[in-house]
Amino acid sequence: MSTEAAWLGPEEWQAVMLSLRVSFWATLAALPLAVFAAYALARWQFPGKQILNSLVHLPLILPPVVTGYLLLMVFGTKGPVGGALQQIGIVFAFRWTGAALAAGIMAFPLMVRAIRLSVEAVDPKLEQAAATLGAPRVLVFAVITLPMILPGLIAGTVLGFAKAMGEFGATITFVSSIPGQTQTLPSAIYTFLQVPGGESAALRLTLVSIAIALGALLLSEVLARRAADRTGGR
Amino acid sequence: MNTHRALALSLQFLTRWQHRLLAAAALAAGLAAMASAQVTVFAAASTKTALDEAAAGFEDASGLSVTLSYAGSPALARQIQLGAPADVFISANPGWMDVLQQEQLIDPATRLDLLANRLVLIASGRAAPPLDLETADLGAALGEGRLAMALVDAVPAGIYGKAALTALGHWPAVAPNVAQAANVRAALALVASGEAPMGVVYATDARAEPSVTVIATFPEDSHPPVIYPAAAVADGNAAEATAFLDYLRSPAARGVFARHGFGVPAE
Amino acid sequence: MLRVSLHHALPGFGLDVQFEAPPGVTVLFGRSGTGKTTVIQAVAGLLRPDRGRVALDGELLFDTTRRHWLPPHKRRMGYVFQEGRLFPHLTVRQNLLFGQWFAPRGAKRESLDRVVELLGIGPLLQRRPGLLSGGEKQRVAIGRALLSAPRMILADEPLSALDEARKAEILPYFERLRDEIGIPMLYVSHSAAEVARLATTVVVLQDGKVQRQGTAAEVLGDSAVMPAGVRAAGALLEARVAKHHSDGLTELDAGGVPLFLPQIAKAPGSQVRVRISAHEVILSRQRPEGLSALNILPGTVEHVRTGGGPGAMVSLQTPAGRVLARVTRRSAQALGLETGAECFAIVKTVSIAPEDIGGG
Repeated sequence: MSTEAAWLGPEEWQAVMLSLRVSFWATLAALPLAVFAAYALARWQFPGKQILNSLVHLPLILPPVVTGYLLLMVFGTKGPVGGALQQIGIVFAFRWTGAALAAGIMAFPLMVRAIRLSVEAVDPKLEQAAATLGAPRVLVFAVITLPMILPGLIAGTVLGFAKAMGEFGATITFVSSIPGQTQTLPSAIYTFLQVPGGESAALRLTLVSIAIALGALLLSEVLARRAADRTGGR
Repeated sequence: MNTHRALALSLQFLTRWQHRLLAAAALAAGLAAMASAQVTVFAAASTKTALDEAAAGFEDASGLSVTLSYAGSPALARQIQLGAPADVFISANPGWMDVLQQEQLIDPATRLDLLANRLVLIASGRAAPPLDLETADLGAALGEGRLAMALVDAVPAGIYGKAALTALGHWPAVAPNVAQAANVRAALALVASGEAPMGVVYATDARAEPSVTVIATFPEDSHPPVIYPAAAVADGNAAEATAFLDYLRSPAARGVFARHGFGVPAE
Repeated sequence: MLRVSLHHALPGFGLDVQFEAPPGVTVLFGRSGTGKTTVIQAVAGLLRPDRGRVALDGELLFDTTRRHWLPPHKRRMGYVFQEGRLFPHLTVRQNLLFGQWFAPRGAKRESLDRVVELLGIGPLLQRRPGLLSGGEKQRVAIGRALLSAPRMILADEPLSALDEARKAEILPYFERLRDEIGIPMLYVSHSAAEVARLATTVVVLQDGKVQRQGTAAEVLGDSAVMPAGVRAAGALLEARVAKHHSDGLTELDAGGVPLFLPQIAKAPGSQVRVRISAHEVILSRQRPEGLSALNILPGTVEHVRTGGGPGAMVSLQTPAGRVLARVTRRSAQALGLETGAECFAIVKTVSIAPEDIGGG
C-alpha cells in the first residue's frame, strides 16, 4: 500500500470504488425486499408476523462477526444455499457479491424501519378509495402508496447505503479481505490502522468515507424534499 | 462534604444489628479485593490454546486470577497505546513490541523473547498429501481455490507468510488467490471449514485444529524468525505482571508450550 | 336492483338487515351508530360480514353460503366517502381520470367534459386537493366516482362533513345524478331533509335492523317511524309548480290545493317535493280567517300518536298528501282530534326552508 506520492494510491482508490460498487448493489437488491417487508408489517395481519419482525431486526442486534459467520455457514461454498447456488454459477464466497450480500443484510433492518414508518403514515382509507375505483392491489400500491412513501423510501435507501458503506465485521468474517474483490473501504482503513505509521493513510480514507456519507445525505435531503412537495400539494 | 453528612445522618438511623451487618460486609469486601488481584494479559491470537492452559496453571499456583484478551498483535498494541489497562503484552512479532518500547509504554527491563514458532502450509481435511515447497507449483496446486492468510501487510503471520512465499518464488503465482482474514485464527477457520483449500498459519495453530493437515513447513531462512516477545506494560500492576512472566519461563509452563508446538527462541 | 341480506356482529348489537334497492336513490336512514356504514361498506367489499348475500342485477357480489366474495376493485361500485378521500399527490384532473383508467372497455362511460360541466369543477382541474374547499372536494369526489363507470353509486353520508351552506350547494348535484345521469344510488344519511330531497326508496335502520322500507313519502309520513328524532319529523308532499308571482312567491298545485312557497327556480309545470316540518304545522277545527299564513290544507285525522311527553304527533290525510303535525296533547284533546276528525293544517310560507324543497 502506497502511503505517499498521489493523495490516494491505486489500491486505495480500488478500495473506494469497490465500496461504492458493493454498497450500490447491496442497497439496490435490498430495496424491493425491504419495501415488501415494510408493507407487510405495516398493513397486513398474519400468523407469524412477530417472528418476521424479529428476523428482520436480527442483523441489527447480532454482533456483526456472528452475522458474518452465519453467512459463511449458509452461503459459503460448503453451505446449503451457497453450495446449491454454486451449481448454477452464483458464488458469494470471496467475491464482491459476498461483500454485497453481507452489506445488504446489515442495511436491511434500517431500510425496513424507515420505510415502514412511511407506509404507516399513508392513510389506508386512500388505498380503500383506490380499490373502489377499480384499481387492483398492485396498482394501488404503485400509483397511490408508492408516491406517497417516496420521501421515507429515499431516506431509508440512503441510510441503507451509508450502513453498507460502513459495514466491516460481517464482511471480513464472511469474505475476508481481498483487494479488488472484497477489500472495502472499512477493511482498508482497518488494515492501515494495523500497520505502524499507517495512521495518515487511514485518516485520508476516513475523510473519503465522510465525504461520501455527507454527499449521500445531502442528495437524500434534496430528493426527499422534492418528493414531499409533489405529494403534499402545497 | 454533603455526601459525608448524608451518609453519617443515614447511618444514625440504622439499628445496632444493621450496623454490625454493614461492618462485616465491608470487611469481607476488603478481603475479597485483596484475594482476587488480577493480571490482565493481552496476547497474540496464535497463543490462545497454549496460553489458556499455562495461565490456568499460574492461577492454581499463585492464587491470582488471570484475564486473557486475545486479538491480532497490532490491534492489541493500538489498544495499549490508547491506555488499555493491560499488565502484560505478548506480541507475535518484535516489531510491535519495539513500537511500544519506543513510546515507553512497556518496562524494558521485563522484556524477554518468550516463544518461537514455525510457519506452515496447511490444507483442509485430515489426511491431505504433503507438498514439496521447493519444487511444487503452488499456483497450480491451488487452482481456483483460495489461500487463506492473515492480513499480509498488517498481521505478523500474514507478513511472515508473504515474505516466505516471496523468498520461495511462489508469491506472484498465488497473490491473486490470497484471501486475507482478520487474524491467523480466522484464516485457520477458513481452511478448517473447507471454504479455502489451503492456508498459511503457524505450526501451533495447525496442531490445535484437527480438521487441517500440515502439508509443508516453510524453511526458517525464508522468513524473519517468528519470535514472540513478552513484557510488562509500563503502568500496570508490576508485581503481578512480573510474577506471571516468571511463571511463563518455569518448567511447568515450558512443558505446556512445547506440547502445543511452540519452540524456545535461541538465546 | 340491489338485493342485500347481511348478518354482522357489531359492538353492542347485531346487524341483521334484508332489503332491496330498486333503481333510483335508496337512502339508508337512521341515527348514527345503527350500522348504516357497515352495510354500505359490505356492499362495496371494504368489509367482510359474518354472514350474508349481496347481489346486483343478478350478479353475485358476496355469498357466505357459497364462499363467494368479489374483491372491491372488481365490483364497479362508485363510492363517495364522507371525507372525499381525494389523492393528495395527484391534480384534480388526475384524480378524476383515475377511475376512468380502470373502467372496463365495454362499460358505458360518461365523458370527462360532461362530468366536469355537471359538477362545475372546470376551474379546479389543475389544482391539488390540498387547496380545495370542502364543497369543492366533494364535487370532485362525486365526479371521480362517476367517471369509473360504476353500476351503482354508494354514498356514505357525503354531506355530513360540510356546513349548511355547502350542503345546500352539493345536494342538487346528487339530484342531478339521480335525474340526469340516471345511475342507481345507495345513500347513507341521518338527515331527514336529505331523505326528503333525494330518496326514491327509504330503508330505515334502527339498532341494526330494518324498521321500515318504502317510498320517501310513505316513510316520512309514518309517525311511528322517526329515526331522526321527533324534532326532525316532517311529511313529504309532491306538487307541481303552477306559477311564479311577482311579489316573490311561487304557487304550487298540491293535489288541487294551492301551496305558496318563497320563490324557487323551477319552471312552471315541473314536479317538486316539499317537506313540511311537523313543528311548523298549526291545526284548526275551522278554516281560519284573517291569518297571515297563506297555506291552509283541509284534511282528515288518520291517527294521533302520543308518547310519555307533552307532545302528540297527528297524522293528517290531505288532498296534497299526508301531513304530520306536532301539537300538545292538551290541544289534541281540547280540539277533539281523533281518527276521522276533519281539520285544517296551517303552514307559514316562510317556514318552508329552501333545503326542504327538491326536484321531483
